[in-house]
Amino acid sequence: MSDGETGVPLYDGDIAPGDEPASGAEIAVGIRGYLIGLGLAVLATIVSFYISGTTLVWQPSIPAALIVLAIAQMGVHIVFFLHITTRPDSMNNVMALTFGVFVVFVLIVGSVWIMFHLNHNMIPMERLMQMQH
Amino acid sequence: MSIATTDFGFVRGAAAVVPFAEHGERSVASKLIIAAFGFWVFLLSDVVMFSAFFATYAVLKDMTAGGPSGKDLFNISTVAIETGCLLASSFSCGMASLGARARADFMYYGGMIATALLGAAFLLLELRDFTTLIAQGAGPSRSAFLSAYFALVGCHGLHVTMGLLFLLTMMAQVYAKGYRADILRRILCFALFWHTLDIIWVGIFTVVYLMGVAR
Amino acid sequence: MFGKLTWDAIPWTHPIPLVAGIGAFGIVGAVVLFLIFKGYAPYLWREWMTSCDHKRIGVMYVLLAAVMILRGLTDAIMMRSQLAVAYKAPGYLPPDHYDQIFSAHGTIMILFMAMPFVIGLMNIALPLQLGVRDVAFPTLNNVSFWLTASGALLVNLSLLIGEFAKTGWLPYPPLSELTYSPGVGVDYYLWAVQIAGVGTLLSGINFVTTILKLRAPGMTLMRMPMFTWCSLVSVLLIVCAFPIFTATLALLILDRYLGFHFFTNEAGGNMMMFMNLVWAWGHPEVYILVMPAYGIYSEVVQTFSGKPLFGYRSMVIAAMAIGVLALLVWLHHFFTMGAGGDVNAFFGIMTTIIAVPTGVKMFNWLFTMYRGRIVFKTPMMWSLAFLFTFVIGGLTGVMMAVPPVDFMVHNSLFLIAHFHNVIIAGVVFAAFAGYTYWFPKAFGFCLDERWGKAAFWCWLVGFYLAFMPLYVMGLMGATRRMQHYDVAAWYPWMLIAESGIILVWIGIACQITQIVVSFRHKEELRDVTGDPWNARSLEWSTSSPPPVFNFAVLPRVDGRDTYWNAKQRALETHSLGPEPAYKDIEVARNSPTGIVCAFFATFLGFAMIWHIWWLAILSFIGAFATFVAFAWRDREEYRIPAAEVARIDRANRSARLAALAHLGVVQ
Repeated sequence: MSDGETGVPLYDGDIAPGDEPASGAEIAVGIRGYLIGLGLAVLATIVSFYISGTTLVWQPSIPAALIVLAIAQMGVHIVFFLHITTRPDSMNNVMALTFGVFVVFVLIVGSVWIMFHLNHNMIPMERLMQMQH
Repeated sequence: MSIATTDFGFVRGAAAVVPFAEHGERSVASKLIIAAFGFWVFLLSDVVMFSAFFATYAVLKDMTAGGPSGKDLFNISTVAIETGCLLASSFSCGMASLGARARADFMYYGGMIATALLGAAFLLLELRDFTTLIAQGAGPSRSAFLSAYFALVGCHGLHVTMGLLFLLTMMAQVYAKGYRADILRRILCFALFWHTLDIIWVGIFTVVYLMGVAR
Repeated sequence: MFGKLTWDAIPWTHPIPLVAGIGAFGIVGAVVLFLIFKGYAPYLWREWMTSCDHKRIGVMYVLLAAVMILRGLTDAIMMRSQLAVAYKAPGYLPPDHYDQIFSAHGTIMILFMAMPFVIGLMNIALPLQLGVRDVAFPTLNNVSFWLTASGALLVNLSLLIGEFAKTGWLPYPPLSELTYSPGVGVDYYLWAVQIAGVGTLLSGINFVTTILKLRAPGMTLMRMPMFTWCSLVSVLLIVCAFPIFTATLALLILDRYLGFHFFTNEAGGNMMMFMNLVWAWGHPEVYILVMPAYGIYSEVVQTFSGKPLFGYRSMVIAAMAIGVLALLVWLHHFFTMGAGGDVNAFFGIMTTIIAVPTGVKMFNWLFTMYRGRIVFKTPMMWSLAFLFTFVIGGLTGVMMAVPPVDFMVHNSLFLIAHFHNVIIAGVVFAAFAGYTYWFPKAFGFCLDERWGKAAFWCWLVGFYLAFMPLYVMGLMGATRRMQHYDVAAWYPWMLIAESGIILVWIGIACQITQIVVSFRHKEELRDVTGDPWNARSLEWSTSSPPPVFNFAVLPRVDGRDTYWNAKQRALETHSLGPEPAYKDIEVARNSPTGIVCAFFATFLGFAMIWHIWWLAILSFIGAFATFVAFAWRDREEYRIPAAEVARIDRANRSARLAALAHLGVVQ
């Protein structure tokens, strides 16, 4: 099926994921976007590495802080590198992403919750082996 | 009424004037959108696959079977260098994308080569890490924790390897056929792939390495 | 040199698999040789095997499913016969074989019969319903089919070379680990299913993109036919769930091949994680199967009641709700594994809730029929049977959604009866209704009604005879996967069940006869206009079979029943409207990529199963090279000139005009 279908105008209020909204002629604008993304990502990375190694931060909050930074950095990648934003023409891509995130969340959180409960109710291995003899 | 047996029908062709672009009216999307959206859906399915590996790691990360744990094994400076390589490669991949759109050979080839070198550096460091671990008896068959670690990080490494093959193929295609429309679509798909791998790496270095040592 | 493969792999001393394997491959080989010597090979290669046309690929999928149902039902009658004689007796099937048979039965029926059937019907109908020329990625479509066929081939190869898994259709560890299943059986399962799984995932991606990005002008989401909507939910579930299955089986492969410890007894493995992950896929899988089935019922009930579907909007919401809920209930498959009250309660409640949108759909079908004019053709018969039979299965499902009840009947014959009830009445009946409904569209002539009805009655009565006793026995304590028993009370029920499967086989014989008879009488059964059922959706506006490009000009959709409204207008005005302006059409070229890829995939699977490492590496390189070769081609499409398009379309228009004129006379 060709790009120009039989006389029917193409709907172009929609953008390909990864594609940039501008007409693509402005390299300088493009580079700027990637540089900002790189800068923010580097910042988030450095802070993550620092926090995990330091004793300056309250220890129990470290995992939460790391997760927040990771999510922020993933967001930076999604916006600045993948060009997936909440503009109306990018909404299909956002909805797909949201659904994907939902599934990931259900699978990971669900599995950890289920397995934690299963393990908790499980006879400890040593005791189980004792019962075999 | 014999409608049930003698039937008929017709289609009103889109011949005449089609008043178009009403809000919500759709038509066949362009090939670029179709290819990129399809690839995006594939990438999301890949992310779901990775999340199964992540879930397995989360469940098994404490099952060290008397063997070494993450804290004993992980070398954070290596991880930092690997992270830097991958992040820089995402940037250079972006440059390559811009170069392809603008048909600028230097930007495209330069960006792709930089991405390839940084990606290869990442893989070499990771491979060295793995072989060291296996040599010191901390291979994937030592414990469930190590199985989960090698599987998750190894799966990512395999994807990076396939990404490099994808990259080399895209360089070869542009060299052989120029910036043809279908090749540009594939370059867009490659960029999507490469950036998504970096997103997964953010998850890995946070959950596996940083949380592994910050106990 | 050949890894673990020796001449002993062939079951010389086991007559049952030996005869079955030689028989099956003998028949297939004979058919292949016949086709080659009759000169059909170039035609089949050009028009079918390398075709990227969704209609052709769909037919091939359904053909695969038809062949696989014969294998699956053979397994079924062997099991039922064994149980009919194994009362205080060993029976004729040693446990070793019995275990392989029930494992193969489940694997084949779900993954190599139901999935291909459903995906095949989606292939045939969806692009036509959407008013477009093909799916988003036609060549990928072809690849998906051949990868699925490759998996089916590997499973059946285990009859003749080696053995199949004895672990059930989901290979639970630690039984499926190397320690307790050192043979090649589990490996056959793993590689066959992984390869087919890739094919299915690619299909899912293909159809998601097609439905969301490739629709006729004017077709908003809320103007799509219900089959398309339900298929959208199904393929979204494929994309979400199949990667989990791929990962889980990969973990088991790593355990078996490289000594990892995900699910082993020692070194910290946790076998319960396998059950958790595999059912996180397994539950969405059954909704992947049943959603298109609901869609087929919506189409058939509308058409044969002569009324539009009642409650379209609520059907859409119900479909989406089922899709989301399908992802949130998986633990109900292992209530008894010991997660405790809190976890069990949550999943029990979520499972019960899923009955609500399903009920909404049920009532909407009933309201569609109310005050309609029911036409009792075969597809409608299957749908009517579904309406009450499926409810029984659904009710037993809701019973088992209550964890304390499940603790009593888990893994009993009650469970077996439940899931066969919902899958057969839900998916299989829909597949039968679907292939009867769309057969004229695909082939240009209808199927014989009398044999269709005969098949229907045999299947319906056979199903009840085969499975209602299982509910009773399950409540009496009979367990699943049982090779022999000595409880007197079960024996008569086993005999009744045996009569059921025999009747089902008679039904299959009727279906085969139906096809033969229909081919013989195809001129009398010919569908001249393309709309033999007086239906509502766009696929019926094309000729039967449609031209390769489907529509000469893409239809412009202005509502839900564009085609139906156009028909009414044509009736009133006694004309077909103006001829469209014909243009050249580009159509996807044929490609051998799929079959070549599958060729290498089959060898890769076989090599991995038998540990023939050099062959595995070569096959993998071959598959990759195929992929690059495909990416290197310069022309993806070929062009059909406007004159040819016009000629084809005018033929259909004149057929319809003739029918219209005839109606005008009758009027």
